[in-house]
This record gives sequence, structure tokens and C-alpha cells, in this order.
Amino acid sequence: MPRSVLIVGAGPAGMSAAIEAQARSARVIVVDEAARPGGQIYRQTYRPSTGGGAIADSGELARKERLIGAFERLCDKIDYRPSTAAFALFGSGELHVANGARTEVLHADSVVLTSGVREIAIPFPGWTTPGVMYAGGVQALLKAQSVLAGRRIVVAGAGPLPIVVAAQLLRAGGEVASLATLNSLAATARELHALWKGRDIVLEGLRYLATVIRAGVPRLSGFVPVRVQGREQVESVLLARVDRDGSIIPNTEREIACDVVAVNYGFASNSELALMAGVAMRHDQPSGGWVPVVDEFGRTSVPGIFVAGDAAGLRGALVAEAEGRIAGAAAAEREEIKSAQFRVGLSQDLAQRERLVAFQSAVQSMLRVPTGLWRLATDDTVVCRCENVTASALRDAFAAGHLTPNTIKRVTRAGMGWCGGRTCLHAVAALAELHGAPDAGLMTPRPLARPVTLAALASLDASSR
Amino acid sequence: MSSQITDVLIVGAGAFGLSCAWHMARRGTGARLLVLDEGEFASGATGRNGAGFRMQWGLELNIRLCQESIRFFETAAETLDYPRGIELKQDGYLVLAHSDKAFERLQEAVRTQRGFGVPSEMLDADECCRMVPVLGRNRLLGGSFCAKDGSASPFLWLDALLRAARREGVDVRYGTRVEAVEKNGSGFRAHTRDGIIEAGKVLLCTDWAVPDLLAPLGIEMPVVPLPKEILVTAPTRQAVKPILISLEHRIAVNQVGRGSVVFTVSRAREGRSTETTPDFLSFAAPKIVDLVPGLAHLPVLRSWGASQASLPICSRYSAKPI
Repeated sequence: MPRSVLIVGAGPAGMSAAIEAQARSARVIVVDEAARPGGQIYRQTYRPSTGGGAIADSGELARKERLIGAFERLCDKIDYRPSTAAFALFGSGELHVANGARTEVLHADSVVLTSGVREIAIPFPGWTTPGVMYAGGVQALLKAQSVLAGRRIVVAGAGPLPIVVAAQLLRAGGEVASLATLNSLAATARELHALWKGRDIVLEGLRYLATVIRAGVPRLSGFVPVRVQGREQVESVLLARVDRDGSIIPNTEREIACDVVAVNYGFASNSELALMAGVAMRHDQPSGGWVPVVDEFGRTSVPGIFVAGDAAGLRGALVAEAEGRIAGAAAAEREEIKSAQFRVGLSQDLAQRERLVAFQSAVQSMLRVPTGLWRLATDDTVVCRCENVTASALRDAFAAGHLTPNTIKRVTRAGMGWCGGRTCLHAVAALAELHGAPDAGLMTPRPLARPVTLAALASLDASSR
Repeated sequence: MSSQITDVLIVGAGAFGLSCAWHMARRGTGARLLVLDEGEFASGATGRNGAGFRMQWGLELNIRLCQESIRFFETAAETLDYPRGIELKQDGYLVLAHSDKAFERLQEAVRTQRGFGVPSEMLDADECCRMVPVLGRNRLLGGSFCAKDGSASPFLWLDALLRAARREGVDVRYGTRVEAVEKNGSGFRAHTRDGIIEAGKVLLCTDWAVPDLLAPLGIEMPVVPLPKEILVTAPTRQAVKPILISLEHRIAVNQVGRGSVVFTVSRAREGRSTETTPDFLSFAAPKIVDLVPGLAHLPVLRSWGASQASLPICSRYSAKPI
């Protein structure tokens, strides 16, 4: 009987895992929250008919078309479920999913989690003002709806994403008032050997940078947003230069009028489902905070549960695609993994990943965030937006000895709201470390990974259990 | 292995342990008090339960304990100097009956309660639904209500006790599990991974786990864990003013101050797990929708497991002396 493989996510890793597992005769189910396949990086327009010019680099567009095309040709051979959220995973490989008003329990021999990453922001005074957005959120609006988030946008943060988003806004006809990057490109450029391994990606990045330079966008290297002005809506942002420790250098502030501030300080792994299933984790801030421990085939500490792509540590779409194929193959042929033949069949993907991982670790030097930036939050800055928990409430809890995410959550409610801590937990842990927490703690994962109504939970078809 | 000496060792830093520690410290006897908890702050039964307190019980002991507790809760924030407050809510408890037998049980309990001065009363189904419009009418016969019952935040209550106890000089330590207690001369010796504690007296405040430490001493304590699983919804405008208990559904419903609704579901299950069991959500949701159909649209944010002890024993328990 063919093995069944259940894949969570339809980004590069999920799509290629599905293609590979199906090619190996597995019965494949793919659940994905989005209405159309692609994930964040290859996000498609919300409807096929929604227009919009090409804002992504030609190299990226070609990869996107090829992979989505291959996945869509597969769709009548697999059980593909768009607009479906996975909200609980148990160690037995039992996955609970919700599609609108209905829930269902899915079982499979193997589960491949390709749930990607979410963005990280660093709280600063005014960061909850309407108009402050994640850079990736601004990009998603462009990709899915061809909507410019504002008339005059400041893009800021660390790593390559702010550069890409600034360029894409310009290509879509938007106005970028300023591009502020925490770490200079020069530091990354020193790692020539690693960059060479990812030269195609570097070229794409340089083309984005050229777009920004040609448009004459003011670029501020070493600057971060330190305060937003405006009550109901962003009116301006104060950018300031910070030193190596992340402290503001006096008299470097510049106020820039804008209606949107797009911020990204890197990414955190969407590892809730893996955690819930009891998968062993490791902590690595630049590559995604707490990420599942996986072997070269994506196997976790829980037999039958695999993780591939950025969810196992940020390494970009090309690694995700190669890794999806590796994990898809491993999930489909669990007993065969040890054979030499299995490895030979995947040698191209294994080599591709090795080459690009070296490149990505050079890029990740741009994502190192000095601890001082976490001091930007003043006492009345809201850190947990769902439960309105301020930095001073957190500091009061720290002072009383509550320093782990679980205990801070109990005393302050930070992380107890709608988002389940996905937005604030990394900030809570970082602030706790400033106040003497021995390490970046981990919050006990609890179902549900996504909110689901009581009515939908009650709809569960008993026969699907 | 290090060794430490204390006058009283309290095992467990939940509601029992910290309350005992604080009350002892307040007496100012100068006794050295050490509280050890195996987990983190509020990680045990206190932090996991449905957070309600009520005088509506059927047994004298429970009724009188709760009368005392409620008197204390009413001024606890001031007494413990905890300005933030403990989210005390006294909007009453409404215990619902969906069968004649349950209705008669409630009537009898109310007679007992009133004998101790508890202001409880019987309501018919119409009165229950007027009080809680989201209630389902299916089979509902009525309920008993006491306006003085209510709830508090278990986290803030414990935080208030913890800070007050520490101010009184109590040594409270987390992450230290007492593996075993043995007799040692006129006192006791407690074994932990970090060393030995020599204690004049030992107070076991581990709720349903008390028999674990007593059994090796040859004392049998008939306390068993009653397993529960709990889920909480996103905040919503006030829909359930009093706390509800349905005897038939075996569910308690508490809309806390923030607007979230907490459903505590009793169910027979194996072990003492604090995790959600895979079939819990699909087991609980239809029962909840039957009980309060007006809340079916609420999104569930989180679920977890808990246990609480069966009936408290409040007397000298006659077991084999040690």
C-alpha cells in the first residue's frame, strides 16, 4: 500500500515536497492557509484575474512560474486543500485542520511541516500606530492585491528584505521616502567566498538595490526607526543612527514625513505545530529563533514528522525548494532512507542546499540585532498588542523574578491573546534577557495554533477521527 | 550534596502552599519557612483551573471553607498590598440542572447552604435564561444561584501571595522537586536533586499529588486527581455574567474580566497529563454549543489540561502514626 504524506504549507518547500512525494507514488495531501499556492515568497495575486505589473526580479519570477506550474499540474493527482489552516498536531501524526466553518482530523504516515517564517519587529515608541507595518506585509499587499500600503513609505530594518521591498514599491509606482538599514552592505560584502556560492541571488539583490539607487531614494545605513509621530495615523518617523551595541548616537535623529513605516528585523520560524507535537528544538536567533532540530533529510526527533524550508531555519526559497524535495522523498520512503541509492538520487538537491546554506549564513550576518535595540521600548510602549501589555508591566514582572515566557505570560497575559504570542514572544524573551533571564525561554505550545470557532470545532465529522 | 536546615518545609507553591506560608510568616514567630515547587511559577493545579470560588456546595466542610475564603478574597488585594488587584469578580454562580434528579439535588443543597447562612436560591428555567440569554433551553429545568460566589485570577492571586510571602521572609524556590520525605529523629529529611533539606515539620501542599509523598511513609491518603481539560475563547462583550456549572454537561463557564470565556470540562481520562488530549476539542465543542448555543461563534484560542483533588480533608486524619 502506498505511503501517505501530509504536507502543511504550499510555499517552495511544500510544493516541491508534494511533487517529489507524489513522484514516488505516495498518497499526498497538502493543506495551505492561502487561497492559491506559492507561500509568501511566491505569493500569487488573490484571484487569477487581479492584475499588477511584475515587481519581482526576473530570476525570481521564472522560478515562481516553473514551480507553481509544476505544482498546479499535479493538483488533480493529489488532495490539495487551499484556504485550510492546520491548528493542532499531535505526536501520533494526527493533524487538525479548519476550512471556514468546518474542521477535520487528518492522519498520514508522514507529516512534512513547511510552514515557513513570520516577521520580527522590535518595539519602539509609536510602533503600534496605524501605518506601521511589517515590510513583508507591505510586500504581500503588493503581490496579492497590487495595493500600495501608503503614499509615502519609509522602509527600515535589517537584512535584505527592506531593500527588496523598497525596490518593489518603486517598481509598482510607489514613493519611498527613505530606506534605513541597520547593518551596512559592506560588512556582508566582505564574505566574498560565501557570496560567490549564491551569486545568482546576489545579482538579484544588486538589481533591487540598483532600482533604489536609480530612483534617488535617500539611504541611511546604520539607522533605525526610534519613534513614530502621529496619533490616529503615522505622520512621520524619527530615524536615528545606532552604535554597535544598538544605543542611539545623540544628535543623529532625522524626522521623515511619511504615512507608512515598513519594518523588518528578520524572521522567526513558524514552529508551533512542531513544538505541539513534541519535536526537539534549538535556539538560533538570526535563522529564526527556536527552530526544530532536523537531520539532513528533514527528520525531527518525532518519528514520522519532518520539517523543511525556512521553518527549519531561514535559508531562502532556493534552499526551501531543494529541501522540500529531500524531505518529500524521505517522507515517502521512510525505510529506504538508509540506502546509498536513496542518497544518490538526491545528490543534486543535497549539494544545492550545502552550497546555498553557506551563502545564507553570510546573508544572516545582516540579521544580527544588537541587544540595545530592545531598549527602544519606553515604559508605555505596548509590547503584546493582543493583550495591551506595556514594557513597564513586563519590567515589573521581571523585577518580581518572572523571567521565563511561561511565567511572564501568566502574570502579564503577554502571549495569551489572538495571535498566541507569535507577534510578541520573541520581544518578551529578548526583554527578559536584558533583565537577567539566563536564556531565550520557550513558551509551552498549546493548541490551537490558529483560532477556530466553537461551532467549527463542533462540526468535526466523527467518522474522520 | 548540600544540606539545608529549615523549621518548616512547605512542598508546593500553589494556592495551598503559598497561602499557608504567608499566613505562618505573618504570625511573626521567626520560624524559618522554605517553600519548594517542582515547576515554574503557577505551573501547577492553581494556575490551570477554572479560577472560581463558590459557597454552593452540598457538604458543610466545603461550604464553610469557602465562606472563609470569600471573606479573605474580598479584601485580599489590600491585605497582601497588591495594588493591581486580583481581578476579583463576584457576579455569582449559577448551577444548572437538566434533569429532575439534578434539580432535586440542587434544592437539597440550597436547603443545606441556607442553614449556614449562604444566600443561595432556586431559579426556574426562564429566570436562568433571563440572567444568561446565551443559554440553551434544551432540557433546562432551572438552577441554583448565589450572588456572592465568583472568581479571581489565579495568576494574580498567586503573584500577590508570592510577593507578600517573600516580603515576610519566606524562601520560595521554583524548579526544585521534593523526591521523597523520610522521618529523621523528631523531624524530617526531604530529598531533592540539589540536596537534602532537614526540616522540623513538613507541610505537603501538592493537592492531588499528596499521596505520592505520603505513601512511602506508610500513610494512605484517599485523594485522587479529577482530570479536567480547559479551553479559552477570544475576548467578547459580556455574555455570561455569573459563572455557570452544568451538572449534566460537566462543564463550568467563566467569562473573565478581559472578556474571554473559559470552559472547564470534566472528563474521565487516563493519567495526570497537563496537555490537551487529541480528541478533547471535538469532545468538548458539541457539549459547549448545546449548553450555550449563543457562544458558538466565539473563536477558541487555547486549550490545556489540569487536575484537581477530590474532596478536601480538614481534620486530623487518622492514619498509622509515624
